[in-house]
Amino acid sequence: MASSAAVESPPLRISPAARRGGLKANERRIGWLFLVPALLAFAGVIALPFVRALGIAFTRNDLRTPVPRFIGFDNFKTILASPEIMGSFVTTAIYVTAATAFTLVLGLAWALILNQPFRGRTALRAASLIPWVLPSTVTAFVWGWIFNSRYGVLNAGLIELGLIDRQQAWLSDATGAMTAVVVTKVWLSIPLFMSFFLAGLQSLDREQVDAARVDGAGNFAILRDHILPHLRPVVLVVIVLGLIGNLQHFDTIYALTSGGPVRATTVLSIEVFRRAFDQWDLGLASAVGLLWVATIMPAAYFYLRHLLRGV
Amino acid sequence: MAIFNRRQFGALAAAGAASLAIRPAAAQAGQMNFMSFSYAEEPNKPFVVSMIDKFKTTSGVTVEPLATAWGDTQRNVMLRQRSRTLPDSVQLQDRWLPSMAALPEIVDLDTLLGRPAIEAALAPTALGLGRVGGKQIGIPLISGSVGMVANSEVLAKAGVSKIPETLAEFRTALIAVRDKVPNSVPFAMATKNPASIPLDVLLIYWAFGARMIDEAGEVHVASAEGKAAMDFIAGLMKDRLVAPEIDRPDSRRLFAQGNAAFYFDPPVARTFARSFSGRGPAADAFVVPMKTPVLKAGDVPRSVEWGHIVTLFNTPANRDRNGPGAKWISHILSDAVQTTFPLEVGGLPVTKSGRAAPVVQNDPFLKAWAEVTVATGKHEIGIWDNSPELSTILSEETQAALLGQKTASAAADSMQARMKASMAKRG
Repeated sequence: MASSAAVESPPLRISPAARRGGLKANERRIGWLFLVPALLAFAGVIALPFVRALGIAFTRNDLRTPVPRFIGFDNFKTILASPEIMGSFVTTAIYVTAATAFTLVLGLAWALILNQPFRGRTALRAASLIPWVLPSTVTAFVWGWIFNSRYGVLNAGLIELGLIDRQQAWLSDATGAMTAVVVTKVWLSIPLFMSFFLAGLQSLDREQVDAARVDGAGNFAILRDHILPHLRPVVLVVIVLGLIGNLQHFDTIYALTSGGPVRATTVLSIEVFRRAFDQWDLGLASAVGLLWVATIMPAAYFYLRHLLRGV
Repeated sequence: MAIFNRRQFGALAAAGAASLAIRPAAAQAGQMNFMSFSYAEEPNKPFVVSMIDKFKTTSGVTVEPLATAWGDTQRNVMLRQRSRTLPDSVQLQDRWLPSMAALPEIVDLDTLLGRPAIEAALAPTALGLGRVGGKQIGIPLISGSVGMVANSEVLAKAGVSKIPETLAEFRTALIAVRDKVPNSVPFAMATKNPASIPLDVLLIYWAFGARMIDEAGEVHVASAEGKAAMDFIAGLMKDRLVAPEIDRPDSRRLFAQGNAAFYFDPPVARTFARSFSGRGPAADAFVVPMKTPVLKAGDVPRSVEWGHIVTLFNTPANRDRNGPGAKWISHILSDAVQTTFPLEVGGLPVTKSGRAAPVVQNDPFLKAWAEVTVATGKHEIGIWDNSPELSTILSEETQAALLGQKTASAAADSMQARMKASMAKRG
């Protein structure tokens, strides 16, 4: 083996004719051919609408101007001058931070629990995926009923426990509404995060953990010194995916609060939808949409770099 | 698995192309569709189906109903316009017409049916419904006004024996209901949906003698009277006389099920009460049309003009005076529809002959409705083509006052500034 490894094989020569028409070239062409449907779909569904939206962002295009009129950066100036729209960036930041952080912590905690050996673990793991399987609008309606001021389970439970004396309108209070949309999104996302962490935990070296226990390490020390370092790449991916997903999120927020009360839960996705399809100001909606995309880009960049480098 | 050779495939493709090419002709021959929010409302669906069935019998034209939720109708029409899939015909709320009038595909019915024919058919008070910028862009299907209804059974439980006439009496009645009817919403005012809030706020503004936007486009929401109205509204929430999270469908259910004493609605209130109470026509006994409470005795109670409009778009079905679209409009104006559909759904007929029919003249509910809603006015927000933005502003600022995020005065001032900017932008 050693001697054969020492002999260097000559570099493989490919004749120019083979490059043009040989087996390798054929494979390359077929490869491109296979890419064509995906490229067409990408162009039709993503690239063209994006370029079109880019163009519309620089036009006035509303009910009074059905034929778009170029107005340069006016829509962006309107955004900067509008406390309402700028407020939706702040609301988005609050929502994304809260939803990502709580999902991360609770998803990890749930994964650690489900990683322990106990009777019924498999059934509980399967049941944990239910929120992920349910259509998100169904989830929104379920939580909408839970938080409903007149018939909601939450009010009934709290009154029963004597914690409140009369029904509270959770969804009509700025803090309550934000809490409700965050709780709903966290409940929806925990299974996904939990699955990532659970997969990561399967490759954790049990002997290392057992050795640490023999050395006197407690649960928190094992989590801090062994589990979290081991899960670091998973945590990074999960955070980036969580940020992207929460920045894009729309359906449960719209179904629960429609961005209200007042504008307490008007995140960027709701802002774009309402500007475009309630007020029919497509130019301004596209401009907000572009800025929204810009907020997603850093997270998307880190995620793609991670995917490509495998780091 | 069927495998076609080239010739067979070519023949199939040609047949497909031919079927697409003859679609307009097929449409003209006897098919069209009708997007309707009444069709999406469970209590009203059978009446729409009946209207369509009668049309099929008399004209041979098949109408395919397309359901759309009331609150989504404008959005659905706009999206279909962008994707060039507009329906042949659509049911609209009268106050949406100014924003819809900008659509180039909308048919001017004066040119399709002739102005004299329309004027001959419609009652004088219904002539303005469906007319925007000198064009008849829709024909009214039913008409009426938005006023207040009281639930006499709830008032009896609360010990209120007299329908309130002034705002002070109204407030006293609300307090009685709150205190004596557990878990009720005394006044089921719309507090949730930007599509519903403006109407209720407008009526309260009018009760205080305030205006929102005048005919010249001047904004007046922060006048002294306007601020007093906003203060009154905020006070209702503070004292738990109105409730958050209420949209019109919630109001109707609460009212029908004995959990609300008052709310604003057109005469369709009766149909919803019959359906949602589960008592059918027996529910008529507790639905009492009343005058909108006024600031002081002697003031004129006001209500908002209201109607459902049927509009045609420039599709193959509507390009010909003898086509399905023109026949559909004629059917809507016929006595067969006007002496049934408006009464079933809850509204007045729009034609002269419909209103003169004994069945309409003898309807006690409609008669009472007409007696209490004498002074009607146009929706001061809905008549503007930027009404979606104005409605959003009004709703957001009203909610801010209701939830205590702003004082009533600050909310009115903020509303004034934002509405002025919106009106200035429209030019």
